[in-house]
Amino acid sequence: MTLTLTIERVMAFMGLDVLVARDEGLFAEEGLDLRIAALPSDEMRSAVEGSPAKPVTNQGKLQARGESQMFQA
Amino acid sequence: MAESSVGARQVGRRGTIVCAALVVAPESSIFTPQELAHQRVALDYGNGTAYAGLQMLEGAMPREAVMTCSAATSPAERFAGLMRGDFAATVLQEPWITVAEKAGCRLVSTTFFHGTWVATRDVSPAAYGALLRALTRAVHRINADKRRYVSYFIRDWAGHPEVDALTADDFNLGRIQVKEPGPIPEDEARWAWDWMVSWGLIEGAFDVTAQIDRRLERDAHELATAGRHRAA
Repeated sequence: MTLTLTIERVMAFMGLDVLVARDEGLFAEEGLDLRIAALPSDEMRSAVEGSPAKPVTNQGKLQARGESQMFQA
Repeated sequence: MAESSVGARQVGRRGTIVCAALVVAPESSIFTPQELAHQRVALDYGNGTAYAGLQMLEGAMPREAVMTCSAATSPAERFAGLMRGDFAATVLQEPWITVAEKAGCRLVSTTFFHGTWVATRDVSPAAYGALLRALTRAVHRINADKRRYVSYFIRDWAGHPEVDALTADDFNLGRIQVKEPGPIPEDEARWAWDWMVSWGLIEGAFDVTAQIDRRLERDAHELATAGRHRAA
């Protein structure tokens, strides 16, 4: 049985292992259909709009609306 | 992070450890983090790199001497702002640390930090365990030949001339660290929470059950370990 999981997009600086596992077929070998979802560029906001007490981040946005199950914090 | 509206909590450490550096422009008179006292340092608040930057500053001076300003999420924009002289220093991650060094910038402090995975309630231990097994195998492959994999840092920023100009040999491999993903130590989670409260970034008392889904974390890591032993 193939398991499925959707995670939010990662970049190499914090998710190199994810990208290597994807490209080298390691998720598939472990029976996992890993899907990587990206926030549309027009929905991305920059941290410069925020403040220390009210930061702006894009992490977890897809998860909050049910479009991913995991993200990196 | 507090438990989200969809019941998401932290479920373990990531495999990739982030390197963050406080960087000054080539012509800067600043050589040490202490010399950043009362100087504007641009931080991308809301991201781990910003908090790493704040911790590096805090370790070098009294809190009242720390002066920061909000900066873009994109390290490309932070690097550009640094080179324009918009602020005295900023925090960068790879590949922009390497870009900055190649441009003559100086690193006045570097640090490393773990991040975590956050999962909703509907993630099964079997699925997360499979993810962990694959990531652990990837970590072993990366550690066996880091130079082979630095192209990923370049690929993320394709189209940026400063990054396109990098070669694998430009990277300091000591700044690229990966480790088998594991559970989150409770004391470290508490320290991080209390530190953020001390800066007024969040409020309330630390509650491990609200922060970490220990059952999913434990079950998935046990499945991942058992699977690795079967495969060995």
